[in-house]
Amino acid sequence: MLALLAAAPKGPLDTWSPTLLALFALLLPLIALIIVLAFTVDSRRVSAWIAVIFTLAAAACTVLVVAIELAHPLHLERPATFLTFFTGQSGSAAEFTLQWGVLADPLAAVMSLTVALVSLLVQLYALTFMRREDGVVRFFCVLLFATFAMLGVTFSINYFEMLLFFGLVTLSTYLMIGHWWQREEAAAAASRAFIVSAFGDIALLAGVAYIYFRFNELNFQALSGHYTGGRVSANGLFIMAILVFIAAAAKSAQFPLHVWLSGSAQAPAPAAALIHSAGSALCGVYLIARTYGLFHVSPRGLALLAIAGGLTAVLGVLWALFQDNLKRAIAYTTMSELGLMVLALGIGAYGASIFELFAHAWPKALLFLAAGVIIRELRTERMAEMGGLWRRMRFTGWLMAIAVAAAAGVPPFSTFWSKDTILSKALDLGSPLAIAVITLVTFLGAMALVRILALVFTGETARRRRFEPDRIRDAGGRIAFTMAVLAIASLVSGIRGFGGRTDPIAFVTFPGVSLPNSHFVAAGVIAATAVLGALVAFVVFARRVPLPAALQPVSHAMGEGLFVDRAYRLAAVGIVLPASRAASWVETRVVDGALDLVGESIEFAGQPRRWLAEVRIRPLLIGFFAAVVALGTLAIVLAGGIIGKTG
Amino acid sequence: MTLLLAVPTTPATPVAPPALLLSAMVWVPALAAIGLLLFPTRTQVQRERVRSFAIGAAVLTLAFAVFMWYGFRDQSGTYAYEEARGWLQGIGSSYHLGVDGVSMPLLLLSALLFVVAVLASSRLREQAKEFYILLLLLETGVIGAFASLDYLLFFLFWQLQAVPMFLLIARFGGPRRLSAAWKFLVVDLAASALLLLAILILYFKAPVRTFDISTLHDLALPAATATLIGWLFFIAFAVRLPAFPFHTWFLDAQAEASAPAALILGGVLVKLGGYGIIRVNLGEFQNTFHKFSGAVVVIAVVTVLWGAIAALAQDDLRRLVGYVVMSHMGLVLLAAASAAPIAINGAVLLMVADGLTAALLVLMAAAIAERAGTSSIRAMGGMAAQMGRGAIFWILAALAAIGFPGLASFIGQFMIVVGAYPSQRIAAWLAVLGILVLAGAMILTVQRIFFGATPERLGRLRDLGTLELFNAATLTTLIVLLGVLPAILMDSINFSVLSLLSRGGG
Repeated sequence: MLALLAAAPKGPLDTWSPTLLALFALLLPLIALIIVLAFTVDSRRVSAWIAVIFTLAAAACTVLVVAIELAHPLHLERPATFLTFFTGQSGSAAEFTLQWGVLADPLAAVMSLTVALVSLLVQLYALTFMRREDGVVRFFCVLLFATFAMLGVTFSINYFEMLLFFGLVTLSTYLMIGHWWQREEAAAAASRAFIVSAFGDIALLAGVAYIYFRFNELNFQALSGHYTGGRVSANGLFIMAILVFIAAAAKSAQFPLHVWLSGSAQAPAPAAALIHSAGSALCGVYLIARTYGLFHVSPRGLALLAIAGGLTAVLGVLWALFQDNLKRAIAYTTMSELGLMVLALGIGAYGASIFELFAHAWPKALLFLAAGVIIRELRTERMAEMGGLWRRMRFTGWLMAIAVAAAAGVPPFSTFWSKDTILSKALDLGSPLAIAVITLVTFLGAMALVRILALVFTGETARRRRFEPDRIRDAGGRIAFTMAVLAIASLVSGIRGFGGRTDPIAFVTFPGVSLPNSHFVAAGVIAATAVLGALVAFVVFARRVPLPAALQPVSHAMGEGLFVDRAYRLAAVGIVLPASRAASWVETRVVDGALDLVGESIEFAGQPRRWLAEVRIRPLLIGFFAAVVALGTLAIVLAGGIIGKTG
Repeated sequence: MTLLLAVPTTPATPVAPPALLLSAMVWVPALAAIGLLLFPTRTQVQRERVRSFAIGAAVLTLAFAVFMWYGFRDQSGTYAYEEARGWLQGIGSSYHLGVDGVSMPLLLLSALLFVVAVLASSRLREQAKEFYILLLLLETGVIGAFASLDYLLFFLFWQLQAVPMFLLIARFGGPRRLSAAWKFLVVDLAASALLLLAILILYFKAPVRTFDISTLHDLALPAATATLIGWLFFIAFAVRLPAFPFHTWFLDAQAEASAPAALILGGVLVKLGGYGIIRVNLGEFQNTFHKFSGAVVVIAVVTVLWGAIAALAQDDLRRLVGYVVMSHMGLVLLAAASAAPIAINGAVLLMVADGLTAALLVLMAAAIAERAGTSSIRAMGGMAAQMGRGAIFWILAALAAIGFPGLASFIGQFMIVVGAYPSQRIAAWLAVLGILVLAGAMILTVQRIFFGATPERLGRLRDLGTLELFNAATLTTLIVLLGVLPAILMDSINFSVLSLLSRGGG
C-alpha cells in the first residue's frame, strides 16, 4: 500500500515536509503533558484520554514520516534547526553554536514509529490496568514525558541535543521505575537506574567535549564526513568510540552497566513494557546506530561493540534461565536481545540490528503487558508460585505463546527474520565466534522464554494462603485489545515480502556497509536452534524436572546475576562512603582546626556569647557605621600621607 | 494605522541611558535601611508596614535591574550605565560605576534573590525590622561591589557586606550560630585584608596615582610584584568562592544561618568570589593569572570533587546544600583557569543558574527541616506522602543542582566542560567525575527524604504554604526558562566575555 501511495504523482507524501511532521511528533507529547499539568491534573479520566489522543496524533505523524521516507528515499535529509541555545565566538575556532532541531531520516523514522506506537498501545493498556492505582495522572504524565524524551533522542541532530534528551530519558526512567515510591525496593531501584544512567550521560558529556575539541563540530551529519578525514588518530577515534559506547551501554544495559535493568521490573507493567521495548533500554543501541560512523572508522571500536554485545547477550540469557521473578526473567531476556543488537552493530550488520530493534519491540512489549495481567491476577511475581494458567487464562496464554515464539526467533514470527539477517552477516564475515555466539544466544534465548511460558501456564497453580485460583479472570476489554494488536505486530513485523525499497533491511542503510545476503543456511540454523531450544525447554520445564544437585550453586549464582550487583554495592559502601566520611573528618579536624583555634581565642578574649545575646542591635549598627567611617578615614589618611611623601 | 506609523522603528541613535540608574540601584536599599530605622514596631500593623516597606525597597531595586537589563546592549568593550564622579580626588579614587555583560546577569540575580530573601523571612517575629535593615544594607554592599569600577570603591562595598552578614548569622541562626558567625567574620576579614593589601600594592606600584580598575590595567609591573598581586587577589576571592581549603566557614554558615541569610550567602555572596576572579584576575591580570593557573586548576578540581564527595555521606541537609554550591563554584574556578571564552561564558551562566538553584535548595531544605523538626536526613523518609509539592520542588532543585538537561545549570556545565577541555584535559575529566558523584548524592538524598516508608516520629506534615510555593515556583520558572532559552542572557554575556578576555590578554 505504501508503494501505491508513493506511485501517486503529487500526493501529500511529495509535498509534506518530514521534518515538520517529525517536529509535530516530538512536540505533541510535550503539549499534552503541559495541558494535563496545567488544566486537567485533577481528573484522571480526562488526563489519560488527553495523553492517549495526543500520542495517537504523534504516532500518526511518525507513520507519515515513515511513509514519506519510503516513498522518497533520502528525501530532505537535512536537519532542521528550530531553537538555538547559544551562538558565540569560541575565540580561535569557528562559531560555537548549541542548537536544537529534528532530523528525519530512515533510521529516525523507524525508531520514532516504534516509540510512538508502543507508547500509544501501552497507554491504552494503562487506561484499564492502572485504573485502581494511586497516581494515575502522574503515571500518564511520566509516560508522556518518556515518549517526548525518546522521540527527542530519536530526532536529535547533534551530540548536544542527544545529550540533552539522554538526560531526559534518564529522568523518565527514574520516574517510571520509582512510580510506587512507597516501596523501598522500587525507590532504591529507581535511584540505581538514575545513577547508572547518569554515569552514561556523563561519559557522553566527556565524549562530546573531546569530539568538539578535535573536530570543532557537534552536528552528526557534518561529523560523519570528518571521521574519515584523518584529522584524528586511530587512538583518538577509539577513545571517542569508548566514551559514546559507555553512554550507550549504561542505557542499553550492556555488561557491566546492566545492573539497573533487573530493577526496572519494579516499574508498573505498562511502564516496564515501554522501557524494554522502545524506551530507555533501546536508546543506547540507537545512539550507536546514530554515531555509527565513529565506530565504522575504528576497527577496535567495532570489536568493542562485538565483544561487549556478545558477552551481554550470553550473560543475559543465562541469568534469565535461572531467574525466578517473572518480570526480571523477561528483563534479562531483553538484556540478551540488546546484547545481540550491539553485537550485530559490531559485526557490521547495521540494517539488521535496526531491524532486530524494530522486530523485537512488539513481542517484548506484549510479554511485559501479559506478565502484568498474570501478576495482577496471581498477586505474586514468583514463577515458583505460578502454574496451571492455561486452563484459566487461555487468551493470555495464546498471546504469550505468540510473543515467546516471536521473541525466540521461531519462524515465521518477527525476530526470526532479523536474527536470520544477523547470522547471515556473521556467515558472510566467516567469524566462527560470532556465529557460535548468535546460535548459542538463539538457543538459550528460546529456552529462557519457553521456560517462562512453561512455568506459568503448565502444571498446577500453587495454593497459597488467602488466594483463590478460581477467582482468576482472563484479560478482557481494552487490555485484551492492546495485547492482540501487539500480537499481530509480532506476527507481521518481520515480513520482508514487499522487496526492494520496502524491505526493512534495505530501508535503513549506512554508507559503506554492505547489505548481507540472506543465507538459507542462516535461516535454517536460526529456525532449527530456536525450535530445538523451545522444545527442550518445554520438555524440561513443563515436567518440572528438578535441577541436579551439582548445579545448585550455579543456579544460585546465576539467579543473583553473578553477584555483580552485590559487588557494586560493596564497592559503594566500602570505598565511596568511607571517602566521603574521610572528607568530612579532614574538614572538621584538620582544615577547621586552625580556624577553630582562632575563633576560640576570640571567644575566650571577648566572651562574645553574653555580649551578643544582651546588646541590642541598634548600637551595633551605629558601631558598624562608625567602623566603616573610621576605616575609610584611616585609608584616606594613610594614602594621603604616602602620597604626600612620594608626590 | 496612524498609530502604527507614529511608533518609531529603529532609532538612529540609541537613547542615552538614564544617568543615575546604577547609583539608584546601589543606594536605594541602603536608604531604605536607614529609613526603616525610623519605623516603630510596637503593633502588628506597624510590623506589617515594616515588612511591606522592605519588600517595596527590594522590588524597586529589582525593577531597576530589570529595566537596566532591558536597555542593555553590546557595549563593544566599554561599560554600560557608566557613572564617574569626582570623589577623593586627592588620592585618585573616583566614584566610578558601570556594568558589562559579566556583571549585569549577576546584578539581576542579586536583585532577584534579595526580593526572594525578604519575602522568605516572613516567619521572623522578633526583630524582623533589624533583619530587614541588615538584609538591605547587605544588598547595597553586594550590588555596589558588582557595579564598582574603582578598586577602593570595590573594597569599601566588599567590606560593607561583612558586618551585616555576620549579624544576620549571629542573631537569627540555629543553635551553633555564634561560632559559625565568628568563623565567617574572621575568615572574611582576613580575606579582605589580603584584598586591601593587593589594592594598595597595586596603587603604589602603578605609575599613575589612581584606583580606577580600567586605568590600572596593562601595567608594566615587575614580574614578582605582579605575581604577588595576582596571588593576593586570587586568595581573597577564593576564600569567598569558597575554594578548598578555605571553605569551612561557608558550610558552617550555610548550616546555621536562617533560610533567607543562607539563601543570600549561597546564592549571591559566594558569586562575588567568582566574579572577582573573572573581573580582576582574568580581566586585568590575565598573563599573571596564566602563570599560576596550574595551581588554580588543582584547587578548582579539588573543590569540585571535595564538594561532591563530601555531599555523598552528608547527613545535614543544609550543609549538603552548601557542598552543592561549593562544587559548582569549583567548576567556575576551573573555567576561569582555562581562560577559554566558551568556558567563561558558561561560568557566568552557571553562576546565575547556581544562584537560582542554591536559593531553591535553601528554601526547600529549610521547609523540609522545619517540617521534620531536624535537618538530619537520616531522621526523614517517605515525606512525599504528605508533602507532594515539597517533593516535586525538591526533586526539581536536586535536578537543577546536578545540571540536568532543560534546567539552567546544564548549559553552563556543558560549556565549561567543553570549553575547558582543550587546555585542561585531566581537570575536565575529573570535574565531570565530580558532577557524576554529585548526581548520585542528590538522587540518593531524594530517595532518603521523600521515598520509602514514613517514620512514625514524623506524624502529620504540612505541605508547602502559599508563600513557599510562590517563591519556589518563581525560582523554578526562571531555572527552566534559562535552561531552555539561555540566549536571553548569553548574548550579552558573550560580547563582554570576549572583550574582557581580549583586554586582559593584551
